[in-house]
Amino acid sequence: MKRLPFEYATRNLGRSRTRLVLTVCSSGLVVLLIMIAGGFMVGMQATLDVSGSKNNIILLGAGSVESVERSEIGMDTAGIVAASIDGLRTRAGIEGVSPEIHIQMPIEVDGEDRLVLIRGVRPEAYLVHDQVRIIKGHSPRNGRNELLIGKLTARTIGYDTPEETIGKTIILDDDEYTITGVLAASGGIIEGEMWTSLTDLQITTQRDTLSCVVVALDTAKPSDLDAFAASRIDLELAAVSENEYFSMLSQFYKPIEMMVVMTCVMIAIGGLLGGFNATYASFASRVREVGSLQTLGYQRSAIAISLVQESILTASVGAIMASTIAMVLLDGFTVRFSMGTFTLAMDAGIVALGIGSGLLLGVIGAIAPAIRCLQLPIPEALRAAE
Amino acid sequence: MRLIKVIPTVFKQIMRSPIRSFLTLGGIAVAMFLFVMVESMRTGVREATQATANETTLVVYRKNRYCPFTSRLPQYYGDRIERIEGVASVVPMQIHVSNCGASLDVVTFRGVPKDDITSAMAKDGTISDGSIETWKQRGDGAIVGSSLAKRRGIKVGDRFKAAGITIFVAAIQETSKAQDRNVALVHLPFLQEAARKGGTGTIVTQFNVQINDSTKLQEIASSIDETFAHDEHPTSTFSETAFVGRAARDIVHLADVAGILAWGALAAVFALVANAVVLAMRDRVRDHAVLQTLGYTGWLIGWMVLLEGASIALIGGLVGGIAAFIAVRIGQFTMTMEGVNIEMASGPSAVIAGIVIAFALGLFAAVIPALRLARTDIATCFRAV
Repeated sequence: MKRLPFEYATRNLGRSRTRLVLTVCSSGLVVLLIMIAGGFMVGMQATLDVSGSKNNIILLGAGSVESVERSEIGMDTAGIVAASIDGLRTRAGIEGVSPEIHIQMPIEVDGEDRLVLIRGVRPEAYLVHDQVRIIKGHSPRNGRNELLIGKLTARTIGYDTPEETIGKTIILDDDEYTITGVLAASGGIIEGEMWTSLTDLQITTQRDTLSCVVVALDTAKPSDLDAFAASRIDLELAAVSENEYFSMLSQFYKPIEMMVVMTCVMIAIGGLLGGFNATYASFASRVREVGSLQTLGYQRSAIAISLVQESILTASVGAIMASTIAMVLLDGFTVRFSMGTFTLAMDAGIVALGIGSGLLLGVIGAIAPAIRCLQLPIPEALRAAE
Repeated sequence: MRLIKVIPTVFKQIMRSPIRSFLTLGGIAVAMFLFVMVESMRTGVREATQATANETTLVVYRKNRYCPFTSRLPQYYGDRIERIEGVASVVPMQIHVSNCGASLDVVTFRGVPKDDITSAMAKDGTISDGSIETWKQRGDGAIVGSSLAKRRGIKVGDRFKAAGITIFVAAIQETSKAQDRNVALVHLPFLQEAARKGGTGTIVTQFNVQINDSTKLQEIASSIDETFAHDEHPTSTFSETAFVGRAARDIVHLADVAGILAWGALAAVFALVANAVVLAMRDRVRDHAVLQTLGYTGWLIGWMVLLEGASIALIGGLVGGIAAFIAVRIGQFTMTMEGVNIEMASGPSAVIAGIVIAFALGLFAAVIPALRLARTDIATCFRAV
């Protein structure tokens, strides 16, 4: 089969600059939206995925397994658990049992009100949540109203460099707190929180119950905690693994995720149809040219390949532009929502998805117009635009 | 008269390129679907959060708290609030939700005292099935809002479990207020005991306060907060709409962001119509020359172009708008956050606005191509072939 030279396709692109710009823009828009939707889903899921550990079990109030913030358990639960269960993670004589309070509260920082999840912890929390690292500053000390700020929380309150927040004062329920350090948690949900001393938070919030106790297992099994919760009816506990808890949380936010994806898909369909329209018009006006090429001896398949090449080239330019915008401007973009804070992740997979979608658009966008151009018999095609 | 006579010709022109017309119509329909959905959401948020002149309901919440799990006020505050001048009635309420976060299909329980049930129901609320008497007789009875009942497929006599609470459906409440259509009203002591470890006895989440004079709303709110300013549990009092706006701030923020999408959808309609008309004009230069030789004036041809743009936009707008309207009516989408519900407005105003705007944008997008064509003489048209 005699093929049309590749230059034929590239030179054709410059025949109508307006059409070229329009097609590039619409394919770019479609690819960008596909990447945003993908980045949103991957970012949200990645945050929830790295937040849980299969070796950590959360003990919450019975009937509150969907939300740790709703849960309330007695202050003595941590001690009872540590004394009742063998095989918990232990370091330097400290057992991996972390009593915690999780509470969403408005904080006043630089004169502005922000809503942040505050976690009241004891030092055991660093043993249980082993992905947590203090990257700057020091841990909050009891009785001093000190706070650790998550990397993403710092960004949501307006600081590009989290370290800048150290030493800043925030107002929490009329009490003054000082930020003494920055914490990182491998991109987990904790990076969107603030940590303080358990007793300080209890005093500020006038609370005499815990939200949960997180237990790190070593040789003990999750079923040991289930049995403990079932046998100690007086404590009104339910045991759920961290992985399971975050998976339930992910299910809870699924409708919102789907809403975002559906919106992006709908805008993408609009852009796609506009792009198809332009490609269609561009090819339809070239019926006579296609007829001429056939009289010169080029087979229909050769012409079809050239038209697809042309369409792929245009869509690829749009896809590359969209990928560049996504990687430069949107990668790491912080999104704050009820579940906490997460970032749009434009990783290699999402870029591959974007480029792949662009190439697919090029192929799909050329098929119908190319068929229309090529289905006419040669004499009719030559007469078409006379 | 000729202006009307050309209408069938315009439709024939549209039908001449069915695939391209379908692509344009499809694009416009999708854009208008999105626009109407977003506008319905924004209208729902506006209706729930915009203050009205005759507002007479105040919500007393724990100061510096947003989530119903963290707002705890002693129930005896109710008696002290009742003594404040201008207060007509006070209903203590315990709120219990499956999750404080913003999402769809969250179940909200409101615990109210047995004697206050009529005040706790919506002002226009009616019992469509079951009875208040049955509710009063059963400690675990619930009056379920019609939207919640429909969404979860529950009916009178059913037992229903959500957020760790199991209730008996005693009645279904029908009302125009989204807040009440999406909650289950239960007995306050039942919820207090069922919701928290060891029960919470005399602790409630909030007080709903009815006042006599809507002009004194702020004054009474300030009086309530001053009364408890130095207590162990200071309060923040808001009008009901302000309270919803504050509690559902993520949804309000989402609606603001969605507003940008609505503008984007309109821009897409404009671009699609303009693109379709410009492409069609280029392809039909010869036809226009022929029309002019047959006696069609430049302005009449321009009028036909205008009609073509407006018709495509109108048909696309109708398809997308009606599809969105049906989706909103059937779906009855409700977003819940911190125990407050915001429903997408299912009235026809967003659809009508969408269709009118699509028509106007179609006309507007076709104006320049129409003017250019109207000013082009026959010779130029023939030379362009």
